[in-house]
Parts: sequence; structure tokens; C-alpha cells
Amino acid sequence: MANEYTEYDYVAAGTIDVSELPPLDPETNKIMKDEFSTGFKLSLLYYAFIFAIPILNWFAPEFMFSRIWGGMTYSWFLTGIVAMAMAFIIAYIHTALYEKRLQKYQSSNGSSFGKSEGRDIG
Amino acid sequence: MMQTLLEPKMIMTILLMGTIVYITYLTKRSATASDYFVGGRSFGWFTNGSAIGGDYLSAATFLGIAGLTFQLGYDGAYYAFCFSIGLTLLAIFVAGPLRRFGAYTVADFLAYRFHSKRARLAAVAVVLAISGFYAAPQLLGAAQILSMFFGTSYEFGIIFTCAVMIFYVGIGGMKGTTLNQALELWIRLGAFILMVIAAIYGGLHYDKILAGISEFKGVIGDTAQYAKDGKDVSFDGTSWTGTGNYFPTFWQTVSMTIGLSLGTIGLPHILLRFYTNPSAKAARKSALMAIAIASVFFFFAVYLGAVGRSIFLSGTAEPQVMKDLVAGGNNMVIPSTAQALGGEWLLGLVIAGAFAAIFSNLSGLFIASSGALAHDLYATFVRKNNISERERVIAGKVSIVILGILYGTLGLMVKNASIGHLVALAFTVAASTFTPIFILGIWWRGMTEKGAIAGLVIGLLASMYMIFFTSTLPEFLQFKIPGLVTVPLGFLSVYIVSKLDRKVPADVNDFMRKVHSKESEAA
Repeated sequence: MANEYTEYDYVAAGTIDVSELPPLDPETNKIMKDEFSTGFKLSLLYYAFIFAIPILNWFAPEFMFSRIWGGMTYSWFLTGIVAMAMAFIIAYIHTALYEKRLQKYQSSNGSSFGKSEGRDIG
Repeated sequence: MMQTLLEPKMIMTILLMGTIVYITYLTKRSATASDYFVGGRSFGWFTNGSAIGGDYLSAATFLGIAGLTFQLGYDGAYYAFCFSIGLTLLAIFVAGPLRRFGAYTVADFLAYRFHSKRARLAAVAVVLAISGFYAAPQLLGAAQILSMFFGTSYEFGIIFTCAVMIFYVGIGGMKGTTLNQALELWIRLGAFILMVIAAIYGGLHYDKILAGISEFKGVIGDTAQYAKDGKDVSFDGTSWTGTGNYFPTFWQTVSMTIGLSLGTIGLPHILLRFYTNPSAKAARKSALMAIAIASVFFFFAVYLGAVGRSIFLSGTAEPQVMKDLVAGGNNMVIPSTAQALGGEWLLGLVIAGAFAAIFSNLSGLFIASSGALAHDLYATFVRKNNISERERVIAGKVSIVILGILYGTLGLMVKNASIGHLVALAFTVAASTFTPIFILGIWWRGMTEKGAIAGLVIGLLASMYMIFFTSTLPEFLQFKIPGLVTVPLGFLSVYIVSKLDRKVPADVNDFMRKVHSKESEAA
């Protein structure tokens, strides 16, 4: 189970100028970079899809509102059907990649796994 | 009297109420603050995923999306599309780190990140603002539904709904709320599934109904008797299946997309749900489960809106259904379509589903605001954290009563407001305040206390001004949902003020280690 939250001190930590901030430890730094990079790339891909719909709707309406089958247009198909699947697919890819990284991390940090340091609140 | 009690809608509603009472009774014991505010962090991904879905898919979604699709056609479907984006972004950037942080309230995050009481206070103000803007339209919807189906007054509807909330959130705390939300989600999803099966069984296939609708142009027969102006309702299918019905320009569409898609990340009652998981891994799986549920839900809602329109255009439905579709407004589309597809019993299930949606969403807002009042304000500022577990729980319960009175008053004040307008306001405020704070707070060490407070204050004021005083703005800034302006403004405020301030917490590295560490993932 994750560390349980406890009360904290409002003043003890104080502040420092951002230029004096020591670099993050290499492990946390790598985790953050990997996590952010994956999330950012997936979000870019997702937003490219998201904004493609209104852009095409407004600037290529004859294509987007032409029919694929029956009365279903490209635009309705992408907005009402594909987009719903896309929300899940992006989240699923993110979770799958995360699990993969976690497995790798756990196997390479087997000995130190479970130890905590620094600002302990649990 | 007996005849009324035996009506399917009454039986279904009584069954729902009975289940709520039973679950609340089972979960009435909250020994610790952790039990009361975050359900003892004991919920697995299935229960919590269902509860997140229950929290997110409010009455505005259950009744509103199909209603908007029925009314606006493609632009209504686009609304559903925008709502479907937010949970995915939340899962990617916030869900895991937030659970690793593991506090009780949204304001805890800021208070801990900056060791700041001022930041906590600013966060409490924003939590109460967002929750108030979100709760008011839910209460409005509840009172309208009670009035439509059971003939009660608006005032009775507000008081009754608040009384139910005080009972089940006050007694059951987060445990009762979560189990009720999970159950309520499956009631309305069940109603949608039955409606979809009935529609397909009746030959109302997606491609076929869209073809029929898009080719229709003219007046709909026998509708004059129900219309306010006494004329048959006219309809143009080409316009309905195209864009520009509601959002007249490209930039209006983009602004709405930004506001609604990023708003979810900042909704306090949704953020709070990630504290209730036992681990960050379970938090991610809960988010995935909620996204799957929401995606199916939005897909069904858009389809059923089109089914409702198709039934209406065919003019073959019962007179009562035709009357409700002409005079009942958007909120009547799902109930009327259910009645047309499956008779009184399906209508009964849909009404129970509508109440389930309202209770589920409102309970999430009540518990999030209760944390802000009892934990953030009372325990921290009044008692200076010198407070026992038992006193914390009592404070939580008392705050639910206060919120019931507060939200009830708010509900009575917004009788004539637009539900969509208020929900849009809640999303815009959330997207312009907490979204920048959480994304930058989790991923950027350079964020300072002053930057965070500036972001909250500027984001809150800018979004409220742009929604309430739209007409005072130049035409190019008159957005229905001003996310295009207010969200970048929120991010920029945090960034610029932090860059100027430069004073970061000395232990920010420890904070980052805590929220990004993979050590807690083993649970």
C-alpha cells in the first residue's frame, strides 16, 4: 500500500532561489523524463486526431460530410464512433507502456525495492 | 394512491431509494478520517472505476448529450466528443502521481507542495466555486425531473434531493458514496444498453436513421397542437447532420474543445476519487475502467439522440411521446425515446437512471466540498490540526449538512438558469485553475507558491468574467466556452509569476521523488 498521508509542517522547508535548486537524483529524473515523454507523445498524437476533426469539418466540409455508408458521414463516424474508441485506446497504450516500464524498473531495482528516502510522510 | 405506487416509474424509483438506504446503512461506520474522506483507500479498480464513471457521467450527460444531439445534430455529438477526451488526459498526467501523493483533499496537494496555508485557502475557494457551479445545475435537473414525472414543485425537488444527499453522504461518507455511485452507474448504463438493443431490434440502425434524418426537409406532421406557437415543427436534415448549428465559427469550436477536454483534469470530485485507490497502479486501472465506461456511454448517448430524432420525424410514436418531444425540451429526449422503444417499464428504468445520475454526481461534489470545509478549513485553520480522528469525522458530517443548505439555496436561485451554461462554467473554471496547477505542480519543479496562487485567482476570475459578462467583451472574444483564452491564461499566469518569483520550496525534490517514485506500485 502507498504511504499514508500525515500532517505536515508549513514552515520547516522554507524556500530557495530556483537557481540554487540541486538537481534531482538520477533515478527520479529518469522516471519523470520517461513518464512525461510517453505522456506528451501520446497526448500530441491524441490532440492531432482531436483537432483534425474540426479543422477538416470547417476547411474540407465536402469530404467530411460525404457519406461512407447509409447516412453515416466521415465526420459523424470520426466524432461519434472512432473518437470514443480513441479515448480508450490512448489510455490503454499509456497504461500498457507504463506497466512495461514498471516491470523493467522492478527487475533492475529488486534489491532496493520498497525503500523510501527524502521527504517521508508515511 | 395505490395505482400511482404500482406505476413502473414509481416502483423503479422506490427500488433505487431502497438500495441507497441499504448501502448507506451497511457503510455507516466511519471510524477514521481516512474512512470518511477517502473510503479507507480500500476500493479496487473495478469499484472505483465504476464510481469515477458514476461521478463523471452526470445527469447532464445521461439526459443532456442525447438531448443536444436530438436538438443540434452533429454539434450535439461534438459535445459528447469533447467530454470523452478529459478522462484520458487525466489518466496520462495526473492519476498515478496523485494517488502516490495520497492525501484527503484537492487542497492538500497545494498545501503540501508549497507548505502554504495561503495556497490551501485559495484552493478551497476554487473547490467550492467549481463544486457550486456544478451542483446547482444538477439540483436544477433533479427538481425538473421530479416535477415532470411526479408533479412535485421545483422547491420540493431541491429540498428532497438535498435531504437525500445529506442522508447518504453524511452517514455513508466516501465508502457509502463510492458503492452507491458504482451501483448507480450500472443502473443508467443498463438502461442505455436496453434502449440500444430495443432500437436495433426495431430496425433503427445507425446508418439507416442518419440517412432518413439527413434527407428530411419540411414540417413534422401533427406537432402543431403541442407547439407553443401553434405551428407544425419544421426540420432541415442537411443542417442537422452538418456543423455550425450551435458553434457558428471554427474558433468557437476550438475554444469549446480546449475548455471541455482540459476541464476534467481540474474537477475536484473526480481528482478526489484517485485518493481512494489502494495504490497508484489501481488508480491507473480505475481510470482505464472509467474511460471504457464513459466511451461506451457517450457512443450510446449520441446514437440514442439520433434514434429519438428519427422516431420524432417518423411521427409514428404515441401522442404522449410526440407531445414530450415537442414541449418537453432536451431533457425529455431520453425518457420519451425509452417510452417509445420499450414502454412504461423502460421509461421507469430511465427515470431511476436519471435520479441515479444526479445522486451519483451530487454525492461526489458533496464529499469533495465536505473535505474542503471540514478538513481544509476547520481542521487546519480553526483547530490548527489539533483535532482527533473522531472529531474530523464529525466535522465532515456537519459540513455535509451545511453544504446541503448552501447548495439547496443555490439550487433555488438558479431556477431559470441554463443547465448547459452552468456546467460549461464549472468545466471552464476547472480547466483554467486546477488543470494548470496539477499539471505544472506534478511535472515542473520551478513552480512557486505565488505562481500557483496567481494561476488560481487569475484563472477563476477570467473564466467567470468571460462567461457572465460576455457581452462586454469585443466580438472576437465572445466565446460560449472561453477555454481558448482562459486555459492558456491560467498556464501563463503560473509560469510567468513563478519565473519572476523564483522562490521554490527547498524540499521540492523530495516532493517529486514521492509523487513519481515507483516504490508504491507494488500494492
